[in-house]
Amino acid sequence: MTQTGPFQRVNTVSAPLKGSFPLDHEGACKYEMLKYMCCLHEKNQQNTECRELAKQYFSCRMEKGLMEKDEWHKLGYGDKKE
Amino acid sequence: VGMMSCLGRFSPLLPSTSSSLGRLLGKRGLNTVPRSTLRLRLVRETDRVQCRFFNLSSGKGGNRETRDTLYYVLSIGVIAIGVTFAAIPAYRIFCEQTSFGGLTQVAKDFEKIANMEKVKDRLIRVQFNSDVPSSMRWEFRPQQHEIYVHPGETALAFYTAKNPTDKPIVGISSYNLTPFQAAYYFNKIQCFCFEEQILNPGEQVDLPVFFYIDPDYANDPSLEYLDNILLSYTFFEAKNNLVLPSPFDPKNRPNEKALEKMKEPIKKEGKK
Repeated sequence: MTQTGPFQRVNTVSAPLKGSFPLDHEGACKYEMLKYMCCLHEKNQQNTECRELAKQYFSCRMEKGLMEKDEWHKLGYGDKKE
Repeated sequence: VGMMSCLGRFSPLLPSTSSSLGRLLGKRGLNTVPRSTLRLRLVRETDRVQCRFFNLSSGKGGNRETRDTLYYVLSIGVIAIGVTFAAIPAYRIFCEQTSFGGLTQVAKDFEKIANMEKVKDRLIRVQFNSDVPSSMRWEFRPQQHEIYVHPGETALAFYTAKNPTDKPIVGISSYNLTPFQAAYYFNKIQCFCFEEQILNPGEQVDLPVFFYIDPDYANDPSLEYLDNILLSYTFFEAKNNLVLPSPFDPKNRPNEKALEKMKEPIKKEGKK
């Protein structure tokens, strides 16, 4: 249903919140990426199980200067009691 | 003549003056007049008024009151049409100002990400697709076919791009999400889209996408049975300072040797 009208939500493609990832030309964080992909493969593509490894990937990127440093709770990794 | 014939239809039934109805009401009041006669008189009065309308253009006998009434009614009609046209941007502005129904999707800030709760009873399957136009020579594919995400949880996914040629190619990507109702809740924190990315010859890079699905996904009634989202990326080639060889350039001619080779079999046949 791609009708547009006065009461339909018109989806416009929007820019990402933090912008674009700089390209990892040297493959600096490739090891963390591979660990994350292996975890996804083992846990049957469940995101919840592999979030810690994704956090490791982001910390690698931040260290190498490929991502802006941000506090973890702003990226959804806050400490919450479940 | 028109007026006479028009009135002639009704004159046997009407009192001679137009204020007959007023007189009738004035003497006895509205409540005491039997309804049937009142309706009959009202119908006749409006018929008489309509007859007067048809004679407005003639100028003589045109009743100013009826002409003014006509103008008022016409202006109300025009205003109503104008309001229907103005309602569309007005509604949008209203929604933006008041966030009515959560229709605005502007400026998702970090506070929302920090405070959002994971929705445990909904599991959304996000599938990945990649496309390149046929003229783009990158190899671009997702690293995983799908990922199962809870709304309210941030997730990471990867694509790979490789430049197998011997020249650096600049690419720029765009994305698309289907179905549209679910795409409304898909928010990207960081990705690799809308900016030019250059790949050197033979280089391969991993392209991450960091996203989350809004927890309000679970509250949308139209998405109650919808658990699949397809995220599709397309990489286009971006060309800076591209100079195409001009067809009028004398140096830009087909290879002379190739032309000679093409001509030879024709000459041989001619000789025969």
